[in-house]
Amino acid sequence: MADIALARASKMAPETARELRHARRLSVGARCALPVAVLLAIGFLAPMVAILAYSFATPRSFDVFRSFTLENFASLFDPTNTVWLSFAWSVGFALFTVAILAVIAYPIAYGLNAVFGRWAGFVSVLFVFPLFVSENVRLYGWVLFFIKNGVLDGTLKWLGFSGGPEVLYTPGVTLFGMAYTYLPFMLFPMTLGLALVPRDLVDAARDLGAGRLFIWREIELPLAMPGILIGMLLTFVLAVGATAEAKILGGQSIIVISHDIEIAFTYSQNWPLGSALAVVVSVFIAALTLVALSKLDLDRMLGRR
Amino acid sequence: MAGISRRSMLQGMAAGAGALAAGPLLGTGSALAAREKELNILCWEGYNSAQVLDPFRSKTGATVKAESLTNDPTMINRLRAGEINTWDLINVNNPWARKVMLPEKLIKPLPKAEFEPFFAKMLPEFKWPYKWAMSEDGNDLLGMVQRFGPYSFVVNTDKVSRKTAEETGWDLFNDPALAGKYGILESDDWNVFNIFVVAGIDPFKVHTPEEMAKFEETAKRVFKGAKLIGDIASMNQALISGEIDLHLTGGTYSVSPARADGHPNLRAITPLKGPLAGGKGGISWIEVTSTVNNPNLSPLALDFLKYVQAPEVAHTVAFAEGTFNPVAQMGNKACFDLFTKEELDAIQWDSLEEEMARSVEYDIVPDYDKALDIMNAAKRLRG
Amino acid sequence: MLQTLPAAAATDEAPPRPILQLVGVRKVFGGFAAVEGIDLDVREGEFLTIVGPSGSGKTTLLRMLAGMDQPSEGNITLRGELINDMPPNKRPTCLVFQSLALFPHKSVGENIAFALKVKGVDAATRKKRALELMRIVRLPDNYHDKNVMKCSGGERQRVALARAFAYDPEVLFFDEPLSALDYKLKKALEKELKDLHRETGKTFIYITHSLEEAMVMSDRIGVMRAGKLVQVGTPEEIYGAPVDRFVSEFVGEVNTLKMKRAGAEWHGVDVPGTFTLSPPKDGASLDEAFVVIRPEYMRFLAPGERADNQLTGTVYNEYSLGSRIQYQIRVGEKVMLAELSRARALAPGASAEVTIGWDAADAFTLGS
Ligand SMILES: Nc1ncnc2c1ncn2[C@@H]1O[C@H](COP(=O)(O)OP(=O)(O)O)[C@@H](O)[C@H]1O
Ligand SMILES: [Mg+2]
Repeated sequence: MADIALARASKMAPETARELRHARRLSVGARCALPVAVLLAIGFLAPMVAILAYSFATPRSFDVFRSFTLENFASLFDPTNTVWLSFAWSVGFALFTVAILAVIAYPIAYGLNAVFGRWAGFVSVLFVFPLFVSENVRLYGWVLFFIKNGVLDGTLKWLGFSGGPEVLYTPGVTLFGMAYTYLPFMLFPMTLGLALVPRDLVDAARDLGAGRLFIWREIELPLAMPGILIGMLLTFVLAVGATAEAKILGGQSIIVISHDIEIAFTYSQNWPLGSALAVVVSVFIAALTLVALSKLDLDRMLGRR
Repeated sequence: MAGISRRSMLQGMAAGAGALAAGPLLGTGSALAAREKELNILCWEGYNSAQVLDPFRSKTGATVKAESLTNDPTMINRLRAGEINTWDLINVNNPWARKVMLPEKLIKPLPKAEFEPFFAKMLPEFKWPYKWAMSEDGNDLLGMVQRFGPYSFVVNTDKVSRKTAEETGWDLFNDPALAGKYGILESDDWNVFNIFVVAGIDPFKVHTPEEMAKFEETAKRVFKGAKLIGDIASMNQALISGEIDLHLTGGTYSVSPARADGHPNLRAITPLKGPLAGGKGGISWIEVTSTVNNPNLSPLALDFLKYVQAPEVAHTVAFAEGTFNPVAQMGNKACFDLFTKEELDAIQWDSLEEEMARSVEYDIVPDYDKALDIMNAAKRLRG
Repeated sequence: MLQTLPAAAATDEAPPRPILQLVGVRKVFGGFAAVEGIDLDVREGEFLTIVGPSGSGKTTLLRMLAGMDQPSEGNITLRGELINDMPPNKRPTCLVFQSLALFPHKSVGENIAFALKVKGVDAATRKKRALELMRIVRLPDNYHDKNVMKCSGGERQRVALARAFAYDPEVLFFDEPLSALDYKLKKALEKELKDLHRETGKTFIYITHSLEEAMVMSDRIGVMRAGKLVQVGTPEEIYGAPVDRFVSEFVGEVNTLKMKRAGAEWHGVDVPGTFTLSPPKDGASLDEAFVVIRPEYMRFLAPGERADNQLTGTVYNEYSLGSRIQYQIRVGEKVMLAELSRARALAPGASAEVTIGWDAADAFTLGS
């Protein structure tokens, strides 16, 4: 705002010093917004700046702002460094999670909009409710479910079967955990997306002779796409950063990228390396998000242009 | 929905990164603040429990903040990163005080006269002047000792007998037949020690490239063969349920809660022999609590050190929530008598002395960083 | 191919057999009957308009005809075949929605050719046909690839119409498609719709809450009230012989006076005096009646001039209706409406006291 005021002042060539001073002063709005802006800067920007600064510090040191080196980044991109494996696992698992969730969440979202009727609110609550319980607690719950002599194994044995499958501490169960954890993040944008498809359009298409599949392909899916894509993007970004599933359910059968970052910050005590890794991953996710969001032209999809 | 999650995500990020950013900035303004009624402790799990802190809080009326971390270098790095003005006490394993923190001026000596009498009542091996409590030159008292214990590996004796475990020792983890049947308790420095030992190498020395290669090979194989890697709770749960038969890295500190919970078949093992100095089979740890070199140290720091040596409090420390351990004050009858039979059983009192005797004491690995990098890379190859 | 017929076949012969027939149709939403007891024959090729105030059940009725809802009771037959449960995509009918329901992510051409795409018609043929239909509804060719949401209200209207025609339905339904448009455009489109009806010879069933719209376009009008069809007839019948006060008032602004019989005489209830009434249409004998007088039949009486019935009141307001002026005249508690052509308007500032009157033959006597 101050900038605008200044720009205008310079263009109009203020006549008197008083006017000039006036133009330079912050507008009331800008002054009121200042505390919030400062808070935002401290709360949001400062940590980012710190991470960025640390990523250029001497490896294994705390010489932030006092040293500058590209060593951390160089070591990440060193071909002998296997950190790309963790990255590949994270991205791969995130993609799988998104694919699985897209398939699982769509029917539920459809049901919430068109089938469950007055039960829809209740069903939504069922999906929201777990979010009030800490993720780790829920995942430990699943460990108790899958573990030997746990809920599943025990029940099956009690029923006379030979016991449950040995799934705990495998990559498969990690994927299961991720799909479980991020279901709401796919479901709700998707539900919203489907809710944006006017009932009339579906009726109209049907009235024009279209069958269910045709309507789904030509009307429902394209119109719900903004919600679906936002759900996918959200799920992907969250899943790329997921660690708890791989640790708790997966027993670290795979090491994911955010776990690697965590190791660098804790056990390795190599904050600069961890920061560099965090910067690389953040840049990757930010770039991906920007590309996706620019492709995801909401206006066009909703036909506003 | 999306709004909430994004906000909490941002909060999470801000909180996480905020702590990181605050590191070097903290403490610049607080130097002049009066600290009579304030005490900040950086410690391992146990000292931060309400059972230990609450009586001290009500006795002194002070605000006591204790933060528990599960890693010595992490705690020390907090001081290095500028939090020296924040903390009053730091509780880490034995070698750090004399070998690292004093030379780096992160801690300061204790008044000898005030604290020497406490050592007289400790178990025999802690008699004055106790090595790890003193400076290298033997002139200064650097901290008070309390909890200790052997820390090698843990087995389910229903699956692997104590005898087999003690005799076979670390080679259990070289046995292909046991691949997929063991877990690894995630504990960075201890994992590094243990991989060296499994490789038949003494960890506490500078290693040759051949030894490092052997270390790498062993790390890859041992991590690949692990059914799971996880924290103490996960290990005990997996042992109890039968998912695993044994786990690398662990001892009284980790298994005592499960033993106290009615699983005496789970047992910390110290091998009879191994590649450690003097052919010893295990590694032990002794916690040393020192006063931070805080220019504005809280006067309560010394009070607290004395407070935790009192028999009742020492017993409470031994059985603080989460982990149960022997304490040095068990040499004091007044303290020892407070332990019930079950409690003694949980901390494997029956074999404690011999196991400590079979263990070398925790030390610093000179080429630790290199070994850790190799180990972290090896972990990634699990999947 | 959309066939273009000469003007709809003669209506003076025996009524053509109904294309759609409704018998006792009723629709209940959780205990509330939105549509009730509808009996209606829709003639092949006619333009039938259903009017009624908002909430009277018009859309509900139409949705049942289009197959989007099923009647709770009663039967709907199409050329004698029972179609109660036939889904909309199997019916040879097409609905133009109140919202138009254009597909916002598709171009004008894609919208229009939607029904053809459903049938698997190839792209080139679809385009050709879409352009033909666009010409019929008077949309320029270069609109074919235009995003439909960039079209104006009137253009969208035409797209919706062309899209329905592309389905080549036997009956077209319209649910207040013009209600959102401005007056001038509405008038123009009403005319075009009427022309299209004549040119195509299809059966149109049109819904509106505006009787004026119905009067302009329809062959027949059905008036709905609270879920029931109160009267069905030609515009003349509806205007000239409303079956009740509701229809008469719905048809336009009217003066309604309540009367009570005392022996052979009728006494006003709202206004004092004795009045002469035309006999009720169905010849019923009534004790209580409503007299309905259209404002244009209400005359200003000069001194000495007489009418069957007279009232004296004061002018307190006047509205210009263009070529005519409407006066509000207060008679006791009651406000009466009377109209004069502009040429014969009362002089401004003329005596506020006026006498108005009407002849019995110019008014309706209704029982309810
Ligand atoms: N699906 C429905 N569920 C419940 N009530 C409905 C439903 N559709 C319409 N109604 C009710 O039926 C009545 C008639 O509605 P509608 O047919 O839309 O009237 P109109 O089109 O004449 O304005 C209204 O009171 C409306 O609230
Ligand atoms: Mg309607």
